Amino acid sequence: MPVFDVLSSGQLLFAALVTGSLYALVALGLNLVYGTMRMLNVAHGDLVMLGAYAGYWAFSIAGISPLVAAPAVAGLGALLGYALYKGLFRRLLAVAPADAGRMEGNSLLLFFGLSIILQNAAAMLFTPNNRAYQYLDEVWRVGNVAMTGNRIAALVVAGATCIGVALFLGRSMAGLAMRSVIERREAAYIVGVDVDRVQWSSFALGFASAALAGVLMSMLEQFSPFSGFPFTIAGFIVIILGGLGNVMAGLVAALLLGVIETYGVALTSANLRSVLLYGCFVGALLLFPNGLLARRSTRK
Amino acid sequence: MSALLSVRGLGKRFGGLTALHDVSFAVGAGEIVGVMGANGAGKTTLFSLIAGNSRPSAGTIEFDGAPVVGLRPDQICRRGVARTFQIVKPFPSLTVLENLRTGAMFGHAQLRRRADADAASLQVLEEVGLASFAERLASSLTLSGQKRLEIARCVATGARLLLLDEVMAGLTPTEVGQMLTTLRHLQASRGLTLLVIEHVMRALMELCGRIVVLHHGELIAEGTPAQIGDNEKVLSVYFGAHA
Amino acid sequence: MNNLWGDRAWLAAVTIGVIAMSALPFVANDYLVGTGLTLLMWLALTQSWCVLSKMTGYVSLGHVVFYGLGAYLMVVTWQQLPFVVVILAAGVLAALFAALVGLPVLRVRGPYFVILTFGLAELVKFSIMAAESASGTASRILFGTPDLVVVYFSMFALALLATGLLTWVSRSRFGHGLRSLRENEEAAETLGVPVVRFKLIAFVLSAAIPGMVGAVMALRSTYFVVGGVFDPMISITVIAMAILGGGDNAKGPVLGVVFLFLIQELLWANAPLLYMIILGAILITFVLLLPNGLVGLAGARTRRREARAVEARP
Repeated sequence: MPVFDVLSSGQLLFAALVTGSLYALVALGLNLVYGTMRMLNVAHGDLVMLGAYAGYWAFSIAGISPLVAAPAVAGLGALLGYALYKGLFRRLLAVAPADAGRMEGNSLLLFFGLSIILQNAAAMLFTPNNRAYQYLDEVWRVGNVAMTGNRIAALVVAGATCIGVALFLGRSMAGLAMRSVIERREAAYIVGVDVDRVQWSSFALGFASAALAGVLMSMLEQFSPFSGFPFTIAGFIVIILGGLGNVMAGLVAALLLGVIETYGVALTSANLRSVLLYGCFVGALLLFPNGLLARRSTRK
Repeated sequence: MSALLSVRGLGKRFGGLTALHDVSFAVGAGEIVGVMGANGAGKTTLFSLIAGNSRPSAGTIEFDGAPVVGLRPDQICRRGVARTFQIVKPFPSLTVLENLRTGAMFGHAQLRRRADADAASLQVLEEVGLASFAERLASSLTLSGQKRLEIARCVATGARLLLLDEVMAGLTPTEVGQMLTTLRHLQASRGLTLLVIEHVMRALMELCGRIVVLHHGELIAEGTPAQIGDNEKVLSVYFGAHA
Repeated sequence: MNNLWGDRAWLAAVTIGVIAMSALPFVANDYLVGTGLTLLMWLALTQSWCVLSKMTGYVSLGHVVFYGLGAYLMVVTWQQLPFVVVILAAGVLAALFAALVGLPVLRVRGPYFVILTFGLAELVKFSIMAAESASGTASRILFGTPDLVVVYFSMFALALLATGLLTWVSRSRFGHGLRSLRENEEAAETLGVPVVRFKLIAFVLSAAIPGMVGAVMALRSTYFVVGGVFDPMISITVIAMAILGGGDNAKGPVLGVVFLFLIQELLWANAPLLYMIILGAILITFVLLLPNGLVGLAGARTRRREARAVEARP
């Protein structure tokens, strides 16, 4: 396929936007959770996977449209985040700063262990087979771009949610409090922010957006208990490139990643999807060796 | 007497912030020179530049007659310079002795065999009063102990010039007195040269033969403790224009 | 911290182990020999991993990349060179790869290093898969692989080599430098430790043996699929074994390998998903509650006894 045709294809652009919007939603959640905990939650993508299963079950068993189930699933996700925070993470986060460095390094293995448990428990309970269902897959045509209804819906919901949360973080007092805790927790304490409340609400919001992304994803692709991980990777790419706490930059980075992936695959082959994803991942980390810390200080 | 350490026109900028500007002074072998100044005056930056932890934006640094700008910290240490950190950086899960062993093995002394390194380290521990803690984990020491450990590690490297960054901070008056005794003893018995950042006035006045004063990154005064105490610029900076 | 056994007890245990493992192929059936081979493989992989990750604190989640490169080399050069040559070449290849990516990769710290190594291994995996796919190769079959006994003793040699390497590093000046930079990299450098060079050397050293292990294991299973030899679960299992064992010398991994290997053998055939869940649980438990592993547990009891003895003195 000649390169120019590929680049000017509205079809691909649409696909890139859809993928990018899902990545943005996942990264948003990761931003909030990681920003609060400072621990690399590599199990984040598994929340997406759980959300996907919830959407699947809602549709296949109860006949509920995923778009209708989405808020409920997101709510369940929020509840889970709240419960985990109160039950587990609040204690982990109270670790003294001297030990925090060690904690951060080891915490990754902790979440990896959690991820392994989640994925395999899901495989045990739900079987490891791929799941998929048909919903809203009538095709709409605008010019020579063919879009399925479910993709349009996913784009709209994901996009609206991201913009909504971005506005919330940027314009509201509660959002400002959240951003301040992400930026520098100790300072937030001093200026009177109710850090505990901000932290559990960040968790709840973060888990909810991951679950929502999962429901949307379940409409579009087939998935298995092991489908969550690429979303974790994508989420990390986005927040490393966009900077921690910087939701707007994250949106841009997510769309960029969607573009690279979609156009890259179209220009080369489907086999390269993972190569591109991990290539971006490795590249992002090598470019920013201090992960997110360097970004924060240069923004001042 | 040629200077052991010579700093000329030294400057350091971080983006828009100028931490140091056109700082020049020299330290002769065997001297104890104090570095004084308010927080943010650039004192720790000065140490970082000398020890190689960061690179100057301008100026030269010569140690023992040879330029050291651009060398890595481990290279500078092997030449004979060792520094402590304002916030102590012990090796927490290693023992006190093992902490010093690192300095003895890899520093200027280059005592590559463990037996030699440990023997030298024990000697240093005796001199700083930590010998009975040799097998204890570094993380189990009190702050005062960890400050001594920090200094002991530097001495164990066999360095000729020690950069001591606020080693008195957080110590009780008794501990300050003990530390002063220890430092004087170390300097005398090993012929060390000390460059000392301090806020504790007593330390500066009693220990140092000479003091340089930094303010907003610039060197505003240099002289003996008595001279500094009378210096108008210094007084106006510390006490206001009408002291 | 590492006084689980005195050196004499450790030496005795090692000697017994060496004798037992040498005798195995002559007294046991093929299945047991294969099991012993797998145990030795994990030992070699875990000990070599510790040379980097336990000593420097740079936890690598991508150890499998060296294994995979070695296996791939063996497979693509099959029957073109004597396999001993290929095994050695695999070690060199892995070491070269480490030398090539080491400098930029080791600049990344803490948890970012962990996920970077993971991502790097996956990148190599998917790149090779894409290349194979593009050339139309889905899988490869090896004919005429050497006898099980030959493969067994090759792995035996590698396990000994790995244990020896870790023991030597752990006791050397180089090892002390590594430990120092693990504890506080900035302070270590300021005390004269050439941290960049040492990290890179540790990285390269840790890469050679898994490369050779991969090449040997390719001889074992005649049917080869890229995804299998770059399986991230290999990296994760190595970490679990090392964390389980604890410590930063050669003693801990032996404990961890044997322990987890037993669990693996019990569960893998009948309940692989359950095994994975247990693996995850082990990671969580030991990271959270027992960061010094089994070695640390025993050591803690010794330390408490010593501490009480010290306090008892006037």
